Formats: sequence, structure tokens, C-alpha cells
Amino acid sequence: MPDFASPVLKTYPTAIGEQTLTDVSATTKALVRAPRGSDAAAELGVNFGSSRVADGTLVVGIRPTEWLVLGPADAVWAFTDAIDSTGHVSKVDFTHGRALFRITGTQSAKVLEKICSLDWADNMMPDGAATSASVAKVTCDIVRNDVDGVRSYFLASDRSSGQYLFDAILDAGTEFDLGVVPG
Amino acid sequence: MTRLPVQPGEVLDRTKSLSFEWNGERLTAFEGDTIASAILANGNRILARSMKYHRPRGLLTADFWDPNAFVQVGDDPNVRSAHRLVENGMDVSAQNVWPSLDYDIKAANGVVGRFLTAGFYYKTFMKPAKLWPAYEKVLAQFAPGGKVDLTTPHMYHDKRYAHPDVLVAGGGPAGMAAALGAAESGAQVMLVEHNHHLGGSLLWGSDADRAAAAELAAAVTAHDNIEVLINSTVTGRYEDNWCSIAQRSHHIAVERLIKARAKMLVVAPGLIERPYVFAGNDKPGVMLSGAAQRLINMYAVKPGQRAVVFTANAHGDSTVADLERAGIDVARVVDARTGGNVVAAKGGSKSVEEVELGDGTTVEADLLITAIGWTAPTSLLNLAGDRPQYDPAAARFFSSQLPDNILVTGGIAGDGTTDQLVAHGRSTGQHAAARAEVVAATLQKLTTRAADYDGDVPSFPADNRQPLGRDPHPELFRSTTHGLVDYSEDVGSKDLFAAAKEGYDSVELIKRFTTATMGPAQGKLETVNTVAVLAEARGETIAEVGTTVWRPPYAPITLGALGGRIFEPVRVSSIQPWHEANRATPILAGQWVRPEHYGNPDAEVRNTRENVGIIDVTPLGKLDLRGADVPKLLSMLYTNKWMQLPVGGVRYGVMCAEDGVVMDDGVTGHIADDHYIMTTTSSGAGGVWEWAENWLQTEHPDWDVHITPVTTAFTSINVAGPKSRELVAKLTDVDLDPEAFKYMQVRTGTIAGVENCFMWRIGFTGELSYELHVPSGYGLHVWETLLAEGADLGIKAFGLEAQRIMRLEKGHFIVGQDTDGLTKMPSVGMNGLIKLDKDDFAGKAELADSINRTDLPKVVAIQTTDPTIVPFEASQIVRAGTNEIIGRITSSRMSPTLNRSICLGQVLPEAAEPGSTLTVVMTSGERVTAKVMEHHAHYDPEGSRLRI
Repeated sequence: MPDFASPVLKTYPTAIGEQTLTDVSATTKALVRAPRGSDAAAELGVNFGSSRVADGTLVVGIRPTEWLVLGPADAVWAFTDAIDSTGHVSKVDFTHGRALFRITGTQSAKVLEKICSLDWADNMMPDGAATSASVAKVTCDIVRNDVDGVRSYFLASDRSSGQYLFDAILDAGTEFDLGVVPG
Repeated sequence: MTRLPVQPGEVLDRTKSLSFEWNGERLTAFEGDTIASAILANGNRILARSMKYHRPRGLLTADFWDPNAFVQVGDDPNVRSAHRLVENGMDVSAQNVWPSLDYDIKAANGVVGRFLTAGFYYKTFMKPAKLWPAYEKVLAQFAPGGKVDLTTPHMYHDKRYAHPDVLVAGGGPAGMAAALGAAESGAQVMLVEHNHHLGGSLLWGSDADRAAAAELAAAVTAHDNIEVLINSTVTGRYEDNWCSIAQRSHHIAVERLIKARAKMLVVAPGLIERPYVFAGNDKPGVMLSGAAQRLINMYAVKPGQRAVVFTANAHGDSTVADLERAGIDVARVVDARTGGNVVAAKGGSKSVEEVELGDGTTVEADLLITAIGWTAPTSLLNLAGDRPQYDPAAARFFSSQLPDNILVTGGIAGDGTTDQLVAHGRSTGQHAAARAEVVAATLQKLTTRAADYDGDVPSFPADNRQPLGRDPHPELFRSTTHGLVDYSEDVGSKDLFAAAKEGYDSVELIKRFTTATMGPAQGKLETVNTVAVLAEARGETIAEVGTTVWRPPYAPITLGALGGRIFEPVRVSSIQPWHEANRATPILAGQWVRPEHYGNPDAEVRNTRENVGIIDVTPLGKLDLRGADVPKLLSMLYTNKWMQLPVGGVRYGVMCAEDGVVMDDGVTGHIADDHYIMTTTSSGAGGVWEWAENWLQTEHPDWDVHITPVTTAFTSINVAGPKSRELVAKLTDVDLDPEAFKYMQVRTGTIAGVENCFMWRIGFTGELSYELHVPSGYGLHVWETLLAEGADLGIKAFGLEAQRIMRLEKGHFIVGQDTDGLTKMPSVGMNGLIKLDKDDFAGKAELADSINRTDLPKVVAIQTTDPTIVPFEASQIVRAGTNEIIGRITSSRMSPTLNRSICLGQVLPEAAEPGSTLTVVMTSGERVTAKVMEHHAHYDPEGSRLRI
């Protein structure tokens, strides 16, 4: 297989700032749909609006009866293959359909405040929380996934909007010393 | 120079001298000066001319609301010079004066002023209507305001969102105390102060006042829970405490709009001093007590030499002391509380020279200070539904019915000493924090993603605050003479009386008729006086007259800030770098940036017809459908049948709305058991997805179907042309033998080493073609491999324009171009796809009727008699010899394949028969003839090139 080409088409110099933005679009993404109350839903183990780490993957309840599983390909497919497929359960490889970025830093919520109207307070968006919202007018799935106690968020958008969104986040982060770090 | 020695409360940094130009003259200032204070400090008194009569104007309020201090700064018009700070090198000039501020020819308006009463323009220039363009040209010369430079580049504006627990509007003593009270209770607070410094009226008060302000400001700025925004204004309050804030103090943008969803809003704007209405009240040298105190105490500027002070309250009294300390001779103090009154300010147009008092005496003075009461700026409360009520004993308005998520403190709530105001502010902040906790708990409980909230949400705590008192204050609005009520609009009390006599006796009507309160101060200085004068004219009380409704914004905000940062998402395919590198001419199709062509679309057509071409069709909508009931869903969405489509099969379908109007079309392939891929038009992808989900979620939740939009998960490449099979065969493990892979079939496999691809044989261009769909992370690789492997076959990329030409040659209609919002399916000539024997499908009832109608327009292929003529799309088709429209050209091009014009159009049925002669009206007005073709397809109507 050839190399995966990111939806971020431009190249950026590495600049480690107080906040960092990383393109992690190459992360394997599986979309799992299963009925409420099914065995599959129980195995996925999180409800809409939350996430958990499981077997080297991040399982995110992005919509009612819809989960996004993120991680290295082997781990993602091992995890999803093991999910009970009884009933109306579907698993779609969504790796190529989504741009995925991670923004990290104590002020990362301040960056996002400039392009998204969500309330980023700890009680409203705690570590592990997941939601969908408009970010710079692009619909995104958002997961808070702190790194070593430092605020960090995954943003997943439609792949075709990835370059635009990346630039919009960078622009918003100018005043917060946001730098690009390779994934 | 009128600069005073160092004043104890001044906000100037005398170690930093600045230089700027005022009307071409070089002036000096200190850092911290406003433009106006610096101009005055340099000995100038006149800052502007009035809007209508061009009367010389000096400072009135010496703050943001001053109606007499608008100037031009460089290319920035209408700058509030009493608020904007001086910057080194500023080029400041008076605006709307000619030839100069000192000698303004337009002041001649004042000579005929008595004829220019309210409504003059409405009455005078209405007739004859045909002369209005001439009137307009002349009147435009008198338009007020500065000059807008259309070449000025768009400056960077910014926007952010915020969710403070408590938003405090106003950074005076009560506002600061409220912020502290809330923050000390654990709330996250945003404190917004309109001016450049926290402190409110304490800043120009006594030493003790300033000490109190400094102590509060230090505590506020040091508190981690408080975000302080100075030189910022809460400009509006909307549903559910959605508040807009204009921040003029951020270093990255000239102005930033903050959209704050506050759990609690504390309104603490203080009070705005109100002018007094009397003859000559707009002469330079007449100013409010707060203006004099600000100039002396904050900016160390001596506002005059000899003063008369007209006072009705302690602020006026304290101004006397400030004036005397500044070395100003206070010639007379006129106390309204003991019956004193001011009747007129007299003198030349450029300065007050003497003051006529109510007792008939006249006092020489170049300065007249008035302190006659306040206006409560209740705008934010009005916006929350409050209808403030007038208290005649206190001579101002107070709130009457606040929603639970708003509290008031400070002067707007009542009167008190600084300690009392601070105490009330602090308890208000604490109470706001307690209420915010309840709001937060409610939100947390209701929000799925939020942290768990244990227990029941508590009720709002009881409000145990000690209310502020209301000091008695004489009601003072107009003297025994007439004067200006609205300085911005040059509207006087005489105008209001005249308007009331004409029947404009409602405050809302008189406002619009006279334009009183509609100037840049937006009623902050004028509303109460307008109401009072109208009440006087009508012989009623102020309470009976009522007030106008204040609307947002509380303070003007630039359009740039409202626009904020411009978010205009664009979408690109994975092949975009190649398109750009190969100089594709881009075209915006919705949000998609697509290559329109690579230099010569006609050549791209010819090459595709003769050799092989490839086009990036990634924007084509793609929906992944999984589940046992997908055929039922397809049967519901499309008019034709889908229950028997075998694995490997592809079928075309047309989708109609319930009214039978064509809404989309496309092909769907059966990839594997219970797995289909549907394609839609590029522009219809989102709508079709919602339409399908609507059927699933509301009509058939029992059906097992999962829909996943995969438009950009796959990069889509159409390989078209007689050599396309030969090319694709080089790259794939799929058996391309015509018998193994027929027209309208789908196969999965590997392409250019990329797994998990699918391809189908369809033919929008009319040529043998394979539409390849590859995982987008490898889209560019496949594209480039196709080009490399196809070099010997004459491969060339083609763009959207070439595709449009080829589809038109082939006679394929495009939904939304060849159809419109009224085009029912029988109009497009596909009645064979309407399967009325199905149980149900979207639009069936309507189509069952319309399929037999003979009056529906038809989509037909059209050829002009002169083959070189290409009518513009949307050209009208008329009945010969008349102007009766019977149709229009919907698509047209010159065909490089056929070397003649080709068109599709919609015509009424009587003109739709093959061979019918049509009359097409060109944009020039010329009429040309054309005929209706037998088939939609101008090229290869049998489809032989597709099926090879």
C-alpha cells in the first residue's frame, strides 16, 4: 500500500508552542453502529457523550447508537472485530472519511473558544466527554482526551474540510502561542 | 495651554509625550490623554460642528457619549474623541466642515434654521417626486459624519465565545464589588468596563473615592476568577442571557465581538449625567459637572477661566471645589434645590460669555456647569423585557420586573455612599454566584456530555440583599426657555412642542418624526429630556408618556466586529495539490473547490472522446447503506424498483419529493449482501442524506438500515474514453472483460495497489467509462498512477466544463439546472422509471396523477437552425411572432465533438414534439429559430459507445 496522504495538504514548520496542534488524520477510525441495549453497545461500553480507553483504542460515543473507535489499525480492528455483530450492527472503516486533529495545552480551550460556541468548563466538558459542534462553521466530532493531566481535544471533521479547519484553528491560536507539531 | 499641574487622580503618564496633528497643526499630549483632552490642553475649545446647523461645539460630557466631539482620525470617520486615546502621529481633523472648523460656510443653515423644523425634509422634498434625484444630490452635500475611504483595507476583527458564571456590566464601585463578591463565592466572572479604567465616578471624585477605586481595582485584577475587559461594552442582552460584548482593547484586533452565554448577568452601568434644556445650552463652554471633573481630575485640563455652576446635587457641589482648586474663578453657584435656575447661556457662537439666571441677573462667565440629574441606562434591562418605571421623587427610572438571571446594582439600583454601593455590589455578586450555581447545575443535569451531577438541582436562593435607598432629587429637565434636547441631531425642545402640536404625541412617533434620541448617543443623553418635554407639551406626567424602547446595541459597534473573523469553509479533494500544480482554473461549486478546466476544455472533450480522460468527481455524494432493509429504503426513496438488484448490479434512480418534483438522481450499487453505495448529485449529498434519515427515523424506524455519508472517504475518479478499459486494466485485479464486468455493474478490488476500492461502469460522458472510488488517503496516488500508466494512451485530465459539455452532448439532464423547483418527473421524459405498481414511494400519489397530465412542460433537446449560434442559458423561448413565453434554454454549449450548438430546454407540451420549430430570444433581443430534437442525446443516442 502507498503512504497515507493527509487531508492537510500544506506543510508547516514544526513550532512547539505553549499549545500544540497535531494532524493525526492517519489514525485508524472505525464507525460502529449498534442498537441501544444490544450486546454490542454493552461491549463498546460508553454512552453518547463520553469516551473510554479500551484495548489500545479510544472508544467514543459520538451519537446515540453510534461510536467512533480510534487508534492504531491493529488495535482498532481487533477491538471492533470482537464486538458482537448479532442484530443490526455495522462497522465502517472511516479512516479516510475524517480529518483528525489533536490540540493540546492549558489554553487549548481558549483557542477553541474562538471558533466554537461550546462551554469548555470542566463540569460541562470533562476529560473523556464527547460531543458534536460547529467549529469555524465545520461540523466536528470533539473528544476531550487529556494528556498527562493537560487539556487536550480531538477534533474530527469531514476530510475535505480538513485543510480549512487546520488553518482556522491555527489562526485562532495565534494569540495563545499555538504551534504545529508533527503527528 | 490649559494643562494643569499634576493632579492627584490624573491618568496621564507625563513621562511619555506624544505628538499628533489637529487640523494640520502639530499638538502635544501625554500618554493617557483622550484626543479631546489633548486638544483642550493645547488651548482649543471647539472640536466639531453640529450636524444640521453647523454650530460650533465644545465638550459636553467629556466621555464616550459626548455628542459634540466626533472627529476624523486618518481614514477612520466618526471617532469619539472624548474616548479614543491619543496615539503618536495621529492625524486628527474636524469632519463635515468647509472650509474649516473655525469658518464653516454650512453654518448658513443656522440662518434659516427656524424654517428647518422637524419634518422639513419629509414635507418639502416629497413633491414633485421626479425631482427627488436632484434634491438627493444637493442634500447629500449636507450629510453629516466623516469621510469613508473605500480603499481602506479590511482590518482584522476577531470573535470569541465565553460562558462566564457571572457577567458584570460596569466596572464602577458596585460593579467591581459585584465581581469580587461573585468570584469570592467561586464563580467565574467576566467584568466589562466601558471606559479605559476601572472605577467609574470614583475616578474623578475625592481622594477617598480614588483610594477606594484603586483598592477595588487591584483586588479585581488580582483575582484569578475574574477576567477584566476594559474599554469594552456589553452591547446587548438576548434570550437566555446571551450577551454581546464589543471589546475594543484587545491587542490582536481593532475590535472583537464576544458572544457570552452568562449564567447570571449583573447590570451595573452607573448613571449617565443628563443635560439641561435652556437657551444656548450647546454653546462651547456649557458642560456637565462630570465633564468638568473628568477634565480636571483625570486629564489635568482646565476647562475655562470663570464659571457659573448650576447644581441640584452633591456632584455639582463637589465640582465647585474642583473648579476652585484648578484655579477657575467660580463666579456664581446657582442651587436648584433652593429655587435657583439658569435661563440662558449667551455670547458669540464660539463660546459662552455670560449666563442669564432665573432671578433676572446676568453673570459673565466662559464656563457654565450643570448638575441637574441622571439618566439610568436601562438598555440591557429593556432588552430583557423590563419596562423601567419613573420615580418622580428620585427623578429617574428604575427597573420593575427583572428575569431571574439578571440582577442590578449601583446607581441603576439606587443611591448610597461609596461604602453602601460597594456593600450592595458585593452582596449582589454573591447572590449572583449562588443563582449561577443553580443555573449551572440545571445545565449540567441536562447535558449529556457534562460531568455527572448528583442529587436534585436546588432552587434559587432567597434574595436577602439590603436594597439601596433612593435619594430625593428635584425634577429638572427644561428651563423657562427653549434649548437643544438632542445635540447629535440638532433637535430642540421647540421642535418637540411643534411636533406634538402636529399630532405626533406618542413618544415613539415623536422620536421618529423629529429624530430626537436617534443620534450616536442613542438616547443616553436625550431620552428622558425628550419624554419630559413631550409630557410638558401634552400636560401629562413622565410616567404617563412612558419611554421609548431601547434596542441593541447599547453602544455602537463596527460592522467589522459584527462580521468577526470570516469563516468560509471550503472543501477540496485529495487530488487538489495536483490540480493546483497543473494550473487548473478553479471553480467554486457550493463549498467545493473544483477544477473547471486545465486550459482548453474543448481539447479535453476531444481527447476523452478519442483516447482517455480522467476527472476528479470526489464531490459526488456517496452514502454507505447497510442493513437488511436497504432495498425497502431505496424503493421508498426512488420511483423505480430496487428489491431485486443483484450483488454487483448498479441501477439509476430518480428521487422525487412528495409533490412529485424531481429532487435528485444518481446510481446505487449493490456492493455485497446488505451493503450498498448510493451516489447523489454533488450539491444534493447533504439533502439526500437528511431526506433518507427522515424516512428512516420518522416513518420506518423498524427498518434495519444504517446510513453513513462517505462522500470524502472515497476519492472518486471517472476514467472515460474508448481506451479507458485498457488503462484501468493496467492497474486493477478486477476482471474488466466486457462479459465479466458489464455496463451498470459494480466491482470491488485493488487499484494501483490500493485495497478496498470499488468501481462501476456508468457513463455520464457517453463514453466507455469506469468510475473508480478509492480510499481518500490514497486518492492522489491512484490519480498520478493513472496519468503515468496512461501516458502511452494519450491520457489527459479533464475538468468540470468538459464534463458538462459531454453530458450535454449525451443529453443527460442535471437536477437543478435543467429542472427547477416545479419540474415533476414526467417532465424529464422518464415515465418508464415511475413504478406505480410499487406499494409506496415518495411522491407516488402526486405522480399517479401527473403521469397522465398533458399540460406539464417537457425537457427536450434543442438545436438552433444556425449551428453556430449558442443561446445563453436561461434564454427565453417564445411563441413565434409574440412575446408569450413558452419555455427556456436550460443548458447550452458549442459541441467540440459535433461542431454545432447543443441545448437542452424546457418547453410547453405543444412545442415539445420532435421537429417543432421554436423561437429563442437572444440576450441582444434578436430572435433565432431552433428545432426540437428526437432524442435528448445529441451524440450517440443508441448508447453504443457505453456498452462496448
